[in-house]
Amino acid sequence: MPKRIISIIVFPGSNCDRDLAIAIQNHLNVKTQYVWHDNSKIDNYEMIFIPGGFSFGDYLRAGVLATKSPALGEVIRLAKKGVPIIGICNGFQILTECNLLDGTLMNNKNQLFICDKSYLKIENNKSIFSKNLKKSVVQFPIAHAQGNFFASNDSLKELEDNNQIIFRYCSKQGVINEKNNPNGSLNNIAGITNKQKNILGMMPHPERAINKFDDQDGVLFFNGLKELL
Amino acid sequence: MIYRVYINYKKGILDPESEAIKKTISNMGFKSLKNLSKGKFFDIEISEKKNGLKEIEKISKDLLSNPVIENFKIIKK
Repeated sequence: MPKRIISIIVFPGSNCDRDLAIAIQNHLNVKTQYVWHDNSKIDNYEMIFIPGGFSFGDYLRAGVLATKSPALGEVIRLAKKGVPIIGICNGFQILTECNLLDGTLMNNKNQLFICDKSYLKIENNKSIFSKNLKKSVVQFPIAHAQGNFFASNDSLKELEDNNQIIFRYCSKQGVINEKNNPNGSLNNIAGITNKQKNILGMMPHPERAINKFDDQDGVLFFNGLKELL
Repeated sequence: MIYRVYINYKKGILDPESEAIKKTISNMGFKSLKNLSKGKFFDIEISEKKNGLKEIEKISKDLLSNPVIENFKIIKK
């Protein structure tokens, strides 16, 4: 078994932590370690994942209470040192709420919890998280009530100009339009990085796209991260 | 000492819930309705101190509101 270990931060209410651990172990070929939110020390930080689900009931705003956890304080410190951080779903919401990523995730435009397949255009295939995906469109499931990405005009312009947008919702053929925007996100944004490009936040779930009998684009995603370790 | 912190969406932020409430009020026959925006408030009691308001401002800015989409206003009760 390889020695390298990836940390997964766990909050009360996280429910994608185990799926994520299985995806990482099987397709990134490394061990995983859960870090409970009240730990202020993260021992293994070659890469850190913040999983989906909920955190602290998502009270007040999705993800905001988690940003005050001791473990998150450590994530923020390490993120600023350049450690690769990936936040999925609630993890993305947490990363925007603690200002590691721009913008915010609002209630879906249709006010419904959406659980569906989604097609994503790889908008920037040069980022460390996407350069090995080897596809222009991938399919990952989405499952969220607050995934409607919003940012101020200035932030949005910066995100676009700096190529920080990694994934956009699209059709199976890669067409980006209103019809293929499940939650009302600005410019169909589904995943972004920070300016330094070491932090990725995304609403879709690659860890749920690794099943043998279903879509397997998640395997590409996790395989593609190998060179970061 | 009790402070009340009001939070509401910034102008231009689409809030489908407010829109739905507004539409319902119109449907009830109140045709003069021009705008409606939903918000929330928190009553926070703290012990008497010099920098109380400053603390409440920090709590409002760092936790209770999201500056990307929300404004906050504090009043002393």
